Amino acid sequence: MNSPLIRERSSTFDALREQLLDAAAVFAGGDGLPAMLAGMVDDVDRALGEPLEIFPVCHHSPASALAMTRRLQEKQPQVIYLELCEDMRPLLDELRNCRLPVALQAFASQLDGFPEGAGPLSVIAPITEASAEYQAIAYALDTPGVELVLVDRPCDHVFSGERHDEPTSDPAEEPEKLHGDAVGVEIGELRPRFAELEEHLLHHGKVRHWSEWWDQYVEQPLSGADHDTYRQVMALIGSLFRRLRQDGDRLAGDEERERHMWTRIREHLATSGVDPGRCIHVCGAFHAVSRVEEFGLAGTDAYAIAPRTATAWLYGLIPSSHSAIEAQFGLAPGSVSIAAAGWAKATGRGGVRPYQLEGQKGTRKSSRKPAGVRPATGTAPVTDRLTGFLGRPPELDDVDEDELRGWCIDIVRLARRNGYLASTADAIAVFETSILLARMRNRARPTPYDFQDAAVTCIEKDTVPGRRDVAQLCTIMLGGDRVGQVGYESLPPLARDVQDRLTPLGIDLEKRTQQRVLLDLRAHPELQPCSDLLWRLRHLLPEGVVRPIMGTRGLGERAIQESWDVALGRHQRAIIELGYEGVTVEHVLEQRLRRVVTDPRATAGSALAAVEDAVRLLGGHRFADELGHRAVELLTTERSVDDAPEVLRRMRRLLAYYRTNRPGLPAWCEQFVTTGYAHYCTLLPTACVAEESGVREVGAMLGFLFTLEGLALSLGCDRAQLELSVAQSHPEEPAKIALLWAARLQLGMLTRDELRARCADLLANPLVVPAFPLYLSGFVQALDPVPALAPFVVEVLSTAFARLPDSVLLPWLPTLLTTLRTHAAELVPVLVREAARTFPADLAALDAWVPPWERPAAAVPTATVPAAAPVTGPVGELLARHREPTDAVAALLGIDGMWASSHSATAGPAANAVPELLAAHPATTAAVAALLDPG
Amino acid sequence: MAEDKTDETLRAPAEVKYAEELEWLESVDTDPKPFSWRLSPRMVRLFVLGSQRSDGLDREIPQKWFGDRSFVERSIVTLASDRGLLLIGDPGTGKSWLAELLSAAISRNSTLVVQGTAGTTEDHIKYSWNISMVIAKGQSRKSMIPSPIMTAMERGVIGRVEELTRSTSDVQDALISILSEKYVSIPELETDNIVFAKPGFSIIATANSRDRGVNDLSSALKRRFNFVRIPVVTNRTSEAEIVRFRTTELLRRHRIELEVPPSLLDILLQSFADLRAAAAAANSDDEKLESALSTAEQIGVLEDAVLHSTFFGDRTLRAETLGSALVGSLARRTPEDLAILNKYWHGVIEPRSRKEAGEWPGFLEGGRNAISTLS
Repeated sequence: MNSPLIRERSSTFDALREQLLDAAAVFAGGDGLPAMLAGMVDDVDRALGEPLEIFPVCHHSPASALAMTRRLQEKQPQVIYLELCEDMRPLLDELRNCRLPVALQAFASQLDGFPEGAGPLSVIAPITEASAEYQAIAYALDTPGVELVLVDRPCDHVFSGERHDEPTSDPAEEPEKLHGDAVGVEIGELRPRFAELEEHLLHHGKVRHWSEWWDQYVEQPLSGADHDTYRQVMALIGSLFRRLRQDGDRLAGDEERERHMWTRIREHLATSGVDPGRCIHVCGAFHAVSRVEEFGLAGTDAYAIAPRTATAWLYGLIPSSHSAIEAQFGLAPGSVSIAAAGWAKATGRGGVRPYQLEGQKGTRKSSRKPAGVRPATGTAPVTDRLTGFLGRPPELDDVDEDELRGWCIDIVRLARRNGYLASTADAIAVFETSILLARMRNRARPTPYDFQDAAVTCIEKDTVPGRRDVAQLCTIMLGGDRVGQVGYESLPPLARDVQDRLTPLGIDLEKRTQQRVLLDLRAHPELQPCSDLLWRLRHLLPEGVVRPIMGTRGLGERAIQESWDVALGRHQRAIIELGYEGVTVEHVLEQRLRRVVTDPRATAGSALAAVEDAVRLLGGHRFADELGHRAVELLTTERSVDDAPEVLRRMRRLLAYYRTNRPGLPAWCEQFVTTGYAHYCTLLPTACVAEESGVREVGAMLGFLFTLEGLALSLGCDRAQLELSVAQSHPEEPAKIALLWAARLQLGMLTRDELRARCADLLANPLVVPAFPLYLSGFVQALDPVPALAPFVVEVLSTAFARLPDSVLLPWLPTLLTTLRTHAAELVPVLVREAARTFPADLAALDAWVPPWERPAAAVPTATVPAAAPVTGPVGELLARHREPTDAVAALLGIDGMWASSHSATAGPAANAVPELLAAHPATTAAVAALLDPG
Repeated sequence: MAEDKTDETLRAPAEVKYAEELEWLESVDTDPKPFSWRLSPRMVRLFVLGSQRSDGLDREIPQKWFGDRSFVERSIVTLASDRGLLLIGDPGTGKSWLAELLSAAISRNSTLVVQGTAGTTEDHIKYSWNISMVIAKGQSRKSMIPSPIMTAMERGVIGRVEELTRSTSDVQDALISILSEKYVSIPELETDNIVFAKPGFSIIATANSRDRGVNDLSSALKRRFNFVRIPVVTNRTSEAEIVRFRTTELLRRHRIELEVPPSLLDILLQSFADLRAAAAAANSDDEKLESALSTAEQIGVLEDAVLHSTFFGDRTLRAETLGSALVGSLARRTPEDLAILNKYWHGVIEPRSRKEAGEWPGFLEGGRNAISTLS
């Protein structure tokens, strides 16, 4: 390809075309290759011949950014058309408040026109400083009179026709997961479209990954190229990848975008009337050589832009990082950092002064004065630079010894700090090895990749002493991962509100570290709102953003001291995304809780949990009551009892809370108890026989029925309903049978002696003995609804141990233990306590000990009410003085009571104890008396 | 080491086996060569990794070592620098083969090897004396027996130390001065008592990462070596390539005409991949096979099966034979290894043979019989 160049006037690239065709004829037969090569030259010709200047770029390419800067300074265009979703335009003005890299994000959770369950949708376009698009944006926004027009299809269309059913995952705190599962869009994505081509290029380029290939074969040679050469080479590469591709679907999508872009460009030109010669179209090299009919100013106008769906898109900036960009776009680890280092070096060398947004955070200040738009320089005719570029070997810089030496010294120092036994000798070896490696790989100057390899070879030994290996250290040294940050001004209202409200804590919320805060709420009651907010955030945000170390917030509980680990700066994305859901944290919390209870899969249990959260986190009663009413609705429609233990637990807790914190129970609570009473009475017979409802659930149902019975009856329920439903229940499983016996005992339908006899029968029957542990677990479950059963359970167990022969007992013991453990772990302590009360504590007592159940019946207090000792003392006197209420109660209960004389009492020692106690502390009694009888 | 002996030796060293190829490469090599190297670094790489069309050579050079290119590049560059090369990795990952290829390509001699064992002494690294000659003529350079390493120093070629971590620390220490001062002094002699290394001398050592802790390298020695870690090949395609390459060579050596059906090769690769996954998931040593499950192990299994079917079978490789060869080579400890294989056979191979049929049922049968014989 080194033949002398003959340039013709008629077509710029004729010579190149001829030369390529000759080459094709030499190397391969057939028509395929010549046609392709000729086509590529045609593509370049066409792209460069377009009156509207097309500027092909590649992502994360300092060469692109440099060429862009030079071109902008030279041409000073009036309008820039940029390949970026057109609806993201307002976000660009916010970029100056952020520390790059950040990502433009469009987020939608209320979808329209997408399949069920497709959401939430998220589109992300990361912006780094070392990119051509940032140069264009910075130039356009800071130069008066320049317009920036985004022309790519809106985010809405990014998803059209895409299947999006990947599972969502929580973005963790590592920088590479900053983007979560969003769909990435980038300007100038340029990469072979089928794996074989990429593999081929890597193989023959003798490089490991795509970024290295690009760096060696395009980036380095182009870094100092003039504008024409740059454009032609980029267009040629775009054309190559476009022609060698496989995936029809993706191409269709790309062509759709190209139609969209050109249609928008023509629309804009027509309405604004700008001279196309003073505009520039920045797009990926792949799109620069498009062959759609709409391409170019002379393209057809047949394309109708599809209307957007009604999906509500929300826009914001989220922090990004080099590693997140690498992970999302499949680039080699470290490549974006290396590109950034390359950019810093190129701009540091002088010659080009990059554009930078006024007030951009985290960068060196640029003293450039915004200049007005200069008159357009005439566009020179296109000349063929491609032939020369392809024909000669790339002009490379000489070995930049100083730079390499600096790297070697730095890496050794860094390695030493990370536990490696590295010395100056290693620095020398790394230097030598880098140069040898580069030479072997045909490079005049060691690239960062060569340097990395050399450092690994010379410093890495058999083990990694610290947390990072040498390869990682190299990436860190060459710039390292940079994590962007969104400035306060660009945060959504919710995030700003959170920052404002947490200001009293006195910590820097923008710091990327985890910070410990101590809240002494007794000494500083003004911090209470901060604590409330932290608890709400804790509920809403993923694990690790805010974490309580000390202090809890349960129903009706308030800690007087709390300490928190706060890492809001590190998890900026989480809080920004929360901002898409509402204006304040409270608003979002309300919405989320409401969503929980209106979910089609919501249960009474989950609704009660939501009520609890509402009371706990939001306070106030209106909202909790609204959720409570929904819980009642859910309970009535429920047909299974799986939720019963949860409902019982939560309802008890809520009732306890309301009783202590409010004058009366809320209406929904009363409703819930009455509905629940009727509901569980109805379901009890079915649940007893149904196989899918376990003993625990039935136990919880009975627990609800018995423990909340008092309340239910006072609210108008009828006990007969419960008695009937117990009578209707005919369980078959041993555990449920035992539960039901306990229930009957509680209801007085069975006496304790009868129950005792039944258990004795069971133990006497060798066929039933193996099932006895199951009965026992039923009894243990019954301890919750029927607490009085505990002595009996201890008795049954003791009898079993006493009566069963060893041959039955010993094999049976493990079963007993496992049954108790799986079915009633939380109730076993009750049992143990009861046993401790029953059995004697020391050996001496054991000899004389008679179990309570074997003592003569007279010793056990009978169920009959003993003749009540006449009540003496102030209470008795009070009652005696106001006899009417007592008489009325007695009449209601049908007791013919007689008032005993208060002086005829025969006081035993026990009877004296109370009066003595009262006499010892007269203040209490006096106070009660004063309360009751102010007169 | 005459070329005509190729047919008579059981296994010819690489420089003999590829002599003609090396000669040709040397004749076309125009790049500068460091020290006394016979090939330039780029040609060494080409010899080891094979040629591409784009290299523009007139003949094709086959690939001889399969693995990441950067490992080879880093190794070659190390040899051109001041430091020794230490190849470290699991057993059977091709460390010694790479060392042999490199020394064959660079200095056309890969036989200057010291085998590191518990019995290796400093004499094996430096020199020893021919006692009868010392008694007859006294101590002189003539009555001295130079070690392979000393010979390599004198000639300016590559010396090799195999299994460096198996040898004791005093032997390892002897290497330190050789690698830094590049000479060995012979205090017994009064004159001519220093052997200086000629340019081009370097050492390739190999070490087994499984033996770590037996005789740990001192940091002084570590500093004088560049470590290149060779990982176990897990890429299915390149592994198949290696197994095919090595077995073809073995079969040629045994003069056996036998075809290895691709379906059986697949079964072998798949079962090794499964067993590796199982070993990676295991919590204790008892739950994983003692074998490192390396590529060399696979070649061993295949060789075993081929030999068995040639001499005791009907000269066709069958799945049954492969199954029993696999069990035979991997079951080293009873009962641990046998229990693992038994579990694998019944838990993985049995369902698979029911589902996929093909050669799997035969493989299942053969393996099961072998397990029952061994247990």
